[in-house]
Amino acid sequence: MIRLYDTIEPNVIDEELLKLAVEEQGPQEAAGQVAKQEGINFKDVKSLQLDFQNILRIDNLWQFVSLRKLQLDNNIIEKIDGLESLVNLVWLDLSFNNIETIEGLDTLVNLEDLSLFSNRIAKMDAMDSLVKLQVFSIGNNMIDNLLNVIYLRRFTYLRSLNLAGNPICDDEEYKLFVTAYLPDLVYLDFRLIDAHTRELGDAKYQYSIYELKHRENQIQAKLEEEQATIAELEKHKAAYVEYLNGPFLFDSLYSEDVEAAKLAYLPGVPELLETYKTKFVEICQNIFDYGLVQQEKRKAEVAIFYECLEEALQENRKQGLKEVEDFDKIYTAYLNTIRNSNDIQFVDTKMSECAEEISRLFDRLMTLEMQLVEQLEETINNFERNIIDMVGVFVENVQGLMAQCRDLENHHHEKLLEISINTLEKIVKSEFDEDLPDDVRALFSDKDTVVNAVGASHDIHLLKIDNREDDLITNVTSWCTATVDKVHNDELDRNRKRVKEINQYVDHLQTDLDNMDFGDLLD
Amino acid sequence: MEVLKEKVEEEEAAEREAEAEQAARRAAEKEREDSILSQEELLDLEQKLSEIEVHIPEIPVAFTKSTIDTSTLPESYRTNTPKEELLIQVADNFSRQYAHLCPDREPLFLHPLNECNIPKFVSTTVRPTLMPYPELYNWDSCAEFVSDFLTMVPLPSAIQLPEYLFSPTSVLKYQKGNCFDFSVLLCAMLIGAGYDAYCVSGYASQEMCLMDLTREMCPLLKKPKKVVEEKEKVIPKKYAIKPARDLRSKFELAQQAKKENELKAAEEKKQKEEKEKILEANKPPPDPMHGLRIHAWVLILSGKREVPESFFIDPFTARSYKTQDEHFLGIESIWNHKNYWVNMQDCWNGCKDLTFDLGDPLRWEFLLFGTEKPYLSLMEEEEEEDLAEDDDIENLDKEDENKNFDMPCSWVEPIYISPKDFETRSPQGKKVIQYKQAKLEKWTPYLNSNGLVCRLTIYEDVDCLKPVEVREWYKNREDTLEMRQMDKISNWTTEYFKPGHFLALRVHTYKTMIPETERTMEFYHQARVDGLVKRTETPRSMTEYYEGRADFLTYRHIDYGPRSKKFSLSTAETNPRPMLKITERFNRNPEKMADDDVAERIFVVSDERIQLRYHCRDDYITVSTREFLKRNEVDNKGNKIIMTPEMCISYEVEPREHTKKLLFQYEMMMDLKNEERLSKHQVWESEMEERQAQEEHMRQVEADLDYLAPFLVQLPPGEKLTRWQALRLKDECLNDFKQRLIDKANLIQSRFEKETQELQKKQQWYQENQVTMTIEDEDAYLTYCSQAMFRIRILEQRLNRHKELAPHKYLALEEKLYRDPRLIEYLKVFV
Repeated sequence: MIRLYDTIEPNVIDEELLKLAVEEQGPQEAAGQVAKQEGINFKDVKSLQLDFQNILRIDNLWQFVSLRKLQLDNNIIEKIDGLESLVNLVWLDLSFNNIETIEGLDTLVNLEDLSLFSNRIAKMDAMDSLVKLQVFSIGNNMIDNLLNVIYLRRFTYLRSLNLAGNPICDDEEYKLFVTAYLPDLVYLDFRLIDAHTRELGDAKYQYSIYELKHRENQIQAKLEEEQATIAELEKHKAAYVEYLNGPFLFDSLYSEDVEAAKLAYLPGVPELLETYKTKFVEICQNIFDYGLVQQEKRKAEVAIFYECLEEALQENRKQGLKEVEDFDKIYTAYLNTIRNSNDIQFVDTKMSECAEEISRLFDRLMTLEMQLVEQLEETINNFERNIIDMVGVFVENVQGLMAQCRDLENHHHEKLLEISINTLEKIVKSEFDEDLPDDVRALFSDKDTVVNAVGASHDIHLLKIDNREDDLITNVTSWCTATVDKVHNDELDRNRKRVKEINQYVDHLQTDLDNMDFGDLLD
Repeated sequence: MEVLKEKVEEEEAAEREAEAEQAARRAAEKEREDSILSQEELLDLEQKLSEIEVHIPEIPVAFTKSTIDTSTLPESYRTNTPKEELLIQVADNFSRQYAHLCPDREPLFLHPLNECNIPKFVSTTVRPTLMPYPELYNWDSCAEFVSDFLTMVPLPSAIQLPEYLFSPTSVLKYQKGNCFDFSVLLCAMLIGAGYDAYCVSGYASQEMCLMDLTREMCPLLKKPKKVVEEKEKVIPKKYAIKPARDLRSKFELAQQAKKENELKAAEEKKQKEEKEKILEANKPPPDPMHGLRIHAWVLILSGKREVPESFFIDPFTARSYKTQDEHFLGIESIWNHKNYWVNMQDCWNGCKDLTFDLGDPLRWEFLLFGTEKPYLSLMEEEEEEDLAEDDDIENLDKEDENKNFDMPCSWVEPIYISPKDFETRSPQGKKVIQYKQAKLEKWTPYLNSNGLVCRLTIYEDVDCLKPVEVREWYKNREDTLEMRQMDKISNWTTEYFKPGHFLALRVHTYKTMIPETERTMEFYHQARVDGLVKRTETPRSMTEYYEGRADFLTYRHIDYGPRSKKFSLSTAETNPRPMLKITERFNRNPEKMADDDVAERIFVVSDERIQLRYHCRDDYITVSTREFLKRNEVDNKGNKIIMTPEMCISYEVEPREHTKKLLFQYEMMMDLKNEERLSKHQVWESEMEERQAQEEHMRQVEADLDYLAPFLVQLPPGEKLTRWQALRLKDECLNDFKQRLIDKANLIQSRFEKETQELQKKQQWYQENQVTMTIEDEDAYLTYCSQAMFRIRILEQRLNRHKELAPHKYLALEEKLYRDPRLIEYLKVFV
């Protein structure tokens, strides 16, 4: 089946080829005439067959977005590409080509049936995104490693597999191996897997499969755990108090602070640090708890607002539907009388009455809409006020707690400064007899250096605290504005949509009535 | 009273009682010490008492002893054992003392005569028996059985105790009895089933005593009380929108509401008055013997068999009443198989104030001491024990004399109900109860060939002349018909079926069974493949409702036009009504977009139009519609038009691109044409099914042909039969049947003979021509012979069978005629 380039002129997928194929394979007979009359859009085509065309490269298929079935068999394709936009593809046939590696299938998430029969593929790979795969044919290829079959375990819906004609089929354990490792498989090489084979396979590979399963489970568990942690963190982030439930913030204060590490060698400083840390962490925890509580409150507030909004909208919709339904009855009655009447005078009066009825419907629907807009505006403003207040209170309280942190820091700074100066004096007086590392001792060369070092450390700490506070406040305010904006925008969109709908409907009715007029006149 | 008791117990010298009981007794005595009389006074009293004789007047009883064959009864029925004699003496003594102490009270019902003229103590008539039928394990079914099984005979005198009390076995045998017989039987069965049951002798209202239910609503007509659910007040939510401002005048509204309220109040008042009037009119005339009428019923005390509260059972109607019910006017005494208690409480207020603590000797005076004393409340017992200790010495010498006298064993044979009797229940398997404006008839299952078990006729008037509604209940029918309800005013018949009808029919409402008339059929839709719930028909339309279908169809309505007249003989099947319009509605299919999901589809067959209405999107108020016209297939120049934009008029909520395409519209129209064909076919199938149902119904009706009809026709209609006519009718019918049987026999006989003769002829012919015959002829002859022999044999068998069965059939018809409701009154004498 493998053809050489020089014997056959390779073909290119171009407009002409596609048009021809689409026309040939499109609707037939009466429908075909209609189709020809108005032309077929490539993007409406559901299935396309491009076999025996000597195509070398897949190209120019980006227009066929709704394509579900694509046959490219019996060509000389060497590389799978150009299929990215065909996301609705369910069936892909690439058999009898010159493909060497599996690739370019990442976007085809709906694919259920894939045929790569008779190519030059050596390894099954790069198909992770084909989660819906049911039928997979990769016979007559060059797969030589039996272990490669394990790759197919991820396709939970895979029921039919064709591997015949690969080097691995020569292995006498091939069949047992495949059935054992793919327990959900029903057909192998187009044959039903019988219970006996399955039993044999299970018995043979039971231990290795057990191990494999164990490993898979472990990975799964680990993944789940990670996801749980991420979810937890997400929750904290939503409350804007992430990493405040512990010494994270405190640790971050000292992570970039070189001076503090040096100062920690002074006597009394570790104890000082310890108390400072406890107090600091406690306040952080307070902020954290408070943040979570506030978050719940905000959530509840938003939920109740949306619930009420939904209720109001449904109520309004019900009224609207009723109006339309009532009108429909009247309208149908009018149409019937007009249709059945011969008297032009009578028809004319009825027509005008009907037109009046339409305009009345328009008025009523618009009144309903206007009323709703007014009502909602009030409610939304109310909500906006409340939510802004809520956020304001939250910010205020957080600021208060942060101020406590800063006080602690100041206090600590004073203490540290005192110790440092004492130490300096001692060193100056040569009373200091403890061993200090050289770089620490270097600090205590004169007063300025010491004060500067302590001050720098203090500045860093304050900066960090300020940054954290700023982060929190910016995030929560931006959430607030986003929420309120969304509500306003949604309401605006809704209003426009409804008004458009009403206009459209009324226009349609009007044209309908006018057409009726013409039809009658023609008769 | 205390003295009386001592006296009684002195006579029971043979027995000794246990130590513990002594203590308890002394405790009880302590309470009543103040009423002790001296020994001499006592003797005096005894003499006086013995002189008093209780005279019971002889009154003929409807169900008398003379109707009972006493010769086959066992020994215990005809004699009294010494123990029983002793018991009767004790009872006599008790009665004398009782009469002395309570001279203004009626004599007690202690030892009436049994069917062998032997006095038997009432408690020994109660023989507890557990029935082998699980249906009789509960009190309600048990009481119902007794009330169904026995025919009520009124007491010989409404205000006097009966002289006789027959054994339950005799009562069961003859299926008749008065209230005492009913109660004793029911009580025996209930005690056997583990209830704490007692026979009660007392007084009740007239209706109760005479089993007169004509003032009662039929229990089948009572409607279950509706539970009125109170609506929860909806608390306005925080962000609920404010309602639009009401621009109407508040004052005017208030005025209007006021007016309406006034009108309402006036109407209510009127209704109330009318109700009261009706109630007044329905009140029974006052009973001159109110409070004197003697009745017996059953009391079940709480405690055993998880009975939460004591209650009465009226054995005639098998209904339970609260012990406070106003129908029960007083209690004289109660008894079970162990003891006899006299009510010492005042019954001025009926039974409303009675307490049923039988262990309380102040309220309930017992006849036999110590036979398993019913409970006293715990508090009292403790007190009494304390008192008893002080009392010990005083009562020491009495201790020996106080002894237990056991109730002798019942003289009655075990109650036995044969399975046949149990199945048949009422005498002749039929029972009629007259209620207020209603008549209830009950039959035993399988008694009526059409499965009728119960019929309730509801009348418009109190005199039960104009029937309004007839309800019939059926059992064990092939078509699972359970109940038929016939409205006599509007002529509507409603039939209710149990699951299992061959069309899964549940309810069928119709006027006549003629096809294409007004009717409603409801189905068990889970049992149907097409999920049909309901089908309503009128002469010009048919509506069907579906549920749970894969294609989401919920409703289909067909309008029919008048049938085209054809000259040829056409039946409904060959000339169906033309369909004018088919309307189909669908539920929302969640897998489709609202704009692609058809909600309503109308095929206007006459106009060649198809209208589609789609489902509404969640946030829209208008729906997409589409209308296809299939009219002009050929344009002006004679070219065939496949599709033009004018053929499809559509309104789309949100215009989409692909729906504007002609191809799309064309394909859709083709699909719809197919769908129309399918729908038409389904309608046709529905019609066929309808016809099938009617045929089935006709078959069921035909099964019970009236064998008297041809003879009744000869008589002048509307007149009542005379006895002579009835007899002649019967004879005619029988003669006719006899003739038919003979004719049939003759027919078979003649065929048999003809067949035999032919065979003989053929055989002769064969013997004559045997030599010159070809092989084929011989073969033909042989096959003929074997076939002829077969026919002859069959005919012979049929003849024999007919001869065998004919007499049975004849007798069966005769019996049937005797039982025929139209003839029964006239033929009864000759049975």
